[in-house]
Amino acid sequence: MRVGRLLLFFTILFLPTACDTKPPEATTERGATGLVIRLEGGDWGYPSPFAHYPRGPGGFKMALLFDSLLERDEKGLIPWLAESYVIAEDGLSYRFTIREGVHWHDGLPLTPDDVVFSLDYANRHAATWSYIHDAVAKVSAAGNTVTVRLKRPQAVMLDNLGRTRIIPRHIWEKVDRPKEFTASEAVIGCGPYRLTHYSKEHGTYRFTANVDYWGPKPRVGSIEFVPVSEPILAYQNGELDMAGVTPDVLPRFAEDSANTIVRNPAFWGYRLLMNVKACEQVQDVRVRRALAHAIDRRELVDKIERGAAVPGRLAILPPDHVMAAEKTRDYPYHPDQARLLLDQAGFAGKNDKGIRLLQNGRPFTLTLLCSAQEVRMAELIGQRLAEVGIETAIRSVDGKSRDAKVRGGDYQLAVIGHGGWGGDADYLVSHLVGDVFDPNSSPSASGSGGVVSPELLELLRRQAIEVDAERRRQLIEEIQQAAAELVAEIPLYYTAGSTMYRPAKYDGWMNMYDHHAMQHSKLSYLERTGPAAKRTE
Amino acid sequence: MKVVELGCRETGGSRSFWRMLSGSGRMALAVLATMAMIALAAPFVCRHSPRIASGPALAAPSAAHPMGTDELGVDLWAQVAHGGRISLLVGAGTALLAGFGGAAAGIACGYRGGLADRLTMRLIDILLVMPDLPLMIVLAAFFGPSVVTIIIVLSAFSWVTTARVVRGRMLTLRERRYIKAAESYGAGTFYLLRRHFLPEIMPLAAVGMIRLAGRAIVAEAGLSFLGLGDPASRSWGLIMHHALSFRGIYYTDFWQWWLVFPWLALTLVVTSLALIGRDLERMADPRIRRRGC
Amino acid sequence: MGQRHTTRFCEYLFTILVVLSLNFVLPRAMPGDPFLILSAEHGEEIARFSPAQEEAYRRQYGLDRPWPVQYASYLGGLVRGDLGYSIYYNQGVTDILLARLPWTLLLVLSAVFFSTLAGCLLAGLSASFRDSALDRLLYPLMVAVAEIPAFLLGLVLLFTLAAGLQLFPLSGAMTHFADHGSLWGKAVDIARHAALPVLTLTLVRTGSMYLLARNAMITVLTRDYIRTARAKGLSPLRIFARHSLRNALVPIVTRVFLSLGGLVGGAILVENVFVYPGLGRLMRESVMVHDYPMIQGIFLLVTVTVLSANFLADLVYKRLDPRIGESAEVRP
Repeated sequence: MRVGRLLLFFTILFLPTACDTKPPEATTERGATGLVIRLEGGDWGYPSPFAHYPRGPGGFKMALLFDSLLERDEKGLIPWLAESYVIAEDGLSYRFTIREGVHWHDGLPLTPDDVVFSLDYANRHAATWSYIHDAVAKVSAAGNTVTVRLKRPQAVMLDNLGRTRIIPRHIWEKVDRPKEFTASEAVIGCGPYRLTHYSKEHGTYRFTANVDYWGPKPRVGSIEFVPVSEPILAYQNGELDMAGVTPDVLPRFAEDSANTIVRNPAFWGYRLLMNVKACEQVQDVRVRRALAHAIDRRELVDKIERGAAVPGRLAILPPDHVMAAEKTRDYPYHPDQARLLLDQAGFAGKNDKGIRLLQNGRPFTLTLLCSAQEVRMAELIGQRLAEVGIETAIRSVDGKSRDAKVRGGDYQLAVIGHGGWGGDADYLVSHLVGDVFDPNSSPSASGSGGVVSPELLELLRRQAIEVDAERRRQLIEEIQQAAAELVAEIPLYYTAGSTMYRPAKYDGWMNMYDHHAMQHSKLSYLERTGPAAKRTE
Repeated sequence: MKVVELGCRETGGSRSFWRMLSGSGRMALAVLATMAMIALAAPFVCRHSPRIASGPALAAPSAAHPMGTDELGVDLWAQVAHGGRISLLVGAGTALLAGFGGAAAGIACGYRGGLADRLTMRLIDILLVMPDLPLMIVLAAFFGPSVVTIIIVLSAFSWVTTARVVRGRMLTLRERRYIKAAESYGAGTFYLLRRHFLPEIMPLAAVGMIRLAGRAIVAEAGLSFLGLGDPASRSWGLIMHHALSFRGIYYTDFWQWWLVFPWLALTLVVTSLALIGRDLERMADPRIRRRGC
Repeated sequence: MGQRHTTRFCEYLFTILVVLSLNFVLPRAMPGDPFLILSAEHGEEIARFSPAQEEAYRRQYGLDRPWPVQYASYLGGLVRGDLGYSIYYNQGVTDILLARLPWTLLLVLSAVFFSTLAGCLLAGLSASFRDSALDRLLYPLMVAVAEIPAFLLGLVLLFTLAAGLQLFPLSGAMTHFADHGSLWGKAVDIARHAALPVLTLTLVRTGSMYLLARNAMITVLTRDYIRTARAKGLSPLRIFARHSLRNALVPIVTRVFLSLGGLVGGAILVENVFVYPGLGRLMRESVMVHDYPMIQGIFLLVTVTVLSANFLADLVYKRLDPRIGESAEVRP
């Protein structure tokens, strides 16, 4: 039949496209050790520093190909491409000593000129993960050292400079539109792995070990990313070597000693913002404290994450953070205390539905902005607030509109969820004061502003430029205590999922000090020798 | 011939309607009526709230929770019953809006003719050939997820089929001798409408509306299933979306109630509407009507 | 006939123009700015952009120019086959579409083929043995099957055959990084992955195809020339193959083309149920991230395909049956 012939024609047509995309370099499929690890795939973009998608998995794949000046281990920053560094007293100038004997994947040597070029390029063109936008005044090289001069002193710039990927000058100096540069040269870096396969529509990647790597030898010969619709089932069938495990199925896998189950650090969290600038009701600190007492954070953890989360701390930094302060003021779930505080704040009067009344007789209503994913959370919060006499109107919009409204200050209460809670404590600035210091802060980072006292502002300013690690830690502890007193925002909870893997197959997994996913750490795939040696102190 | 027709129309009533339905049609009507009543009386039929957690999460069906609970501990029976309201609203809303709108357009075009008729026909042609689901997905994302939006969008698409069919019938009717006779006696448009056109158009419009309702309910369920529906509603498609987004859904047996019950409800409604529609179609067919009377 | 064709062609062209303009306006009026995605911290890391950098990227993508200018360049690009550049996927829209299109085509064309085959065969049986037990069993069964929406059917198959009995994979188009050894092994793997989505779409279409074919064949079977053939003593099989099938072919073939439109909608949902890497999955993903150029591209491709199928149906209908008058139109 006519249709049959048409079908045959199309089948022949599409068969070639079903083949894998050609690898950029012909390297041995299995790599040095022959060990193949399979992880959950998905399309996160072509792993060049400018073309990958903004979300986590894309960037960390790119990091396997491209090294940076510093790397992260379990405790903090370690020297990587930079053998050592010196920060000047005034915090404006950083001098990095660049390692020698490093080669790009195409064989050419890495020179301090490449470093200068990379930092300068990152200053001009925004990489997908861009940390040093517009903050660098001048970069220069002298011998095997590179000196970076900043526009103004910022303690967080060490981390930022350390994370910026070093790209080969001989390839990128001709590129004007880095986001569209997806030729095979775009993934030539000096990292421990090379990209040998990428398919956008299937979401598959393969990384093969770089046998000429300058640093600690890669333990895994080949890392394959394969998309699956159900990771736990795939892990059980042996198709994946690592999977996130939900609390419901965790007992089944915990019984089997062939699996190791690790609780992830809680670095992805939700917080409740209160718009002090635009909403009168929450300007009184007693009202904000009442809200903190009224919301049952443990209930949210149990009902929404089914126990796989840590309740939020008003000190903002999660408990797993390297700079988390020990003793800060907490606000346990206490509806009576909340009611008392609201009475004291002058909202004692109630209408016949039990909702408190404002000074002008109108009911105490707050709109709660959230995205479609957080509707259930918003509903639970609304129920708790209703119990203490505050009416909540839930407005659910799509994620990006929610971010836009938060950035524009168009909300009364808002729930936002994001990662990066484990990062440098400098983000406290944007959580507490919004855009004051950093005009380039991203949308969901800027939240409520205007609750900060002059003393707190001073503390924030000082930590930003403090170069001494111990003194900075002290300042950040004081900031956390002040934040807990002021209730600038209410972190609701930090998700703490679990991950399981089979140690018999591979046991090198580790967590970077500020990240929750073990498969994202570069050191997970390398031998722990040389600069990557495990630190015991 | 004319006497027989008139006789049919005058003696037609609920009793002969029920008799004219086939066995499957009757069963379908009964099922549909029951579900509609449950949906309307949802707050009274359900012990628990469809929004607030009232039991342990992911509990299997039991005496306390006849359909079990979802991941937040919210009673599933309450959710399904209230979800019926969304489907009812969407189905009835679209059917009425598009059905009456389409019928009106069809009558106007068929009877009047002229430039308006030609323009409307071109518009109908354009809307008929456009693939509706991709456009609905785009519009749902544009207008934002809300049940009212979905009704409006679905109606904007569906009025064309009814309009076309009605217009076709109007064209034949217009040429009938008794219509021409009535016109020459000075019968006004409203008289013709009431006495002659509407009784002929009604069955056609009814069939169209039933079909519209079915398609609208499926479309809304599909959009919600993709995650593009109203997140605050308890629509059946949304329940299934939440169930499928649950990590470990294939590995555990929670799907046996969490997914099965909304699925069952949706399938029952759609199949019942289809069966009734087919029966109505058979009844509205003038050849059969003449024989059956 | 020629003039009629031209008029219809112009109508379709006009429709395409309307679709193009709608295509252009809607995504731009959607809430949500694509650059929010680029600078949002929805993932695990916080990325920051300075306003100057954002401006530079806006200029590169042409989002800062006034709408009429954007529209003109959009139409100009279309003529050249350029569907724009996806902001989220960092690749040309045409390239991404061409990579995903074969998978959707595989599903849709296989479903059309199998459903037509099955529908005609079953209808042939039904029509030839009319009012027999077989016919009375098949007819209501097919009616029921024809009404169940595709994605609901897909869910059933997913949970019973794939997750439950583990006969088929849960998702994807093929097993990755597996060494199949031969082209045949690879083809089998692809077929295994496509089996459930194709089965779903086939079942959905078989019902209506059966009903249509059965009606057409019954109409033909009551014709005089069939009675003559029977009187001549020809075997039922010969009557079926030679006469009833061929004459019933007209509505069937037209329906095949028309059903493409319905199948596209079904394929969008089914691809999402089975996580199949075709256009349907891509459409949902791009709507979620508000990628304007991508949504425009997919919508345009899908609409043009369906319109072309309808236009072809019109042509075929008139070619196959010259008795049909010029005013006849095809009803989808």
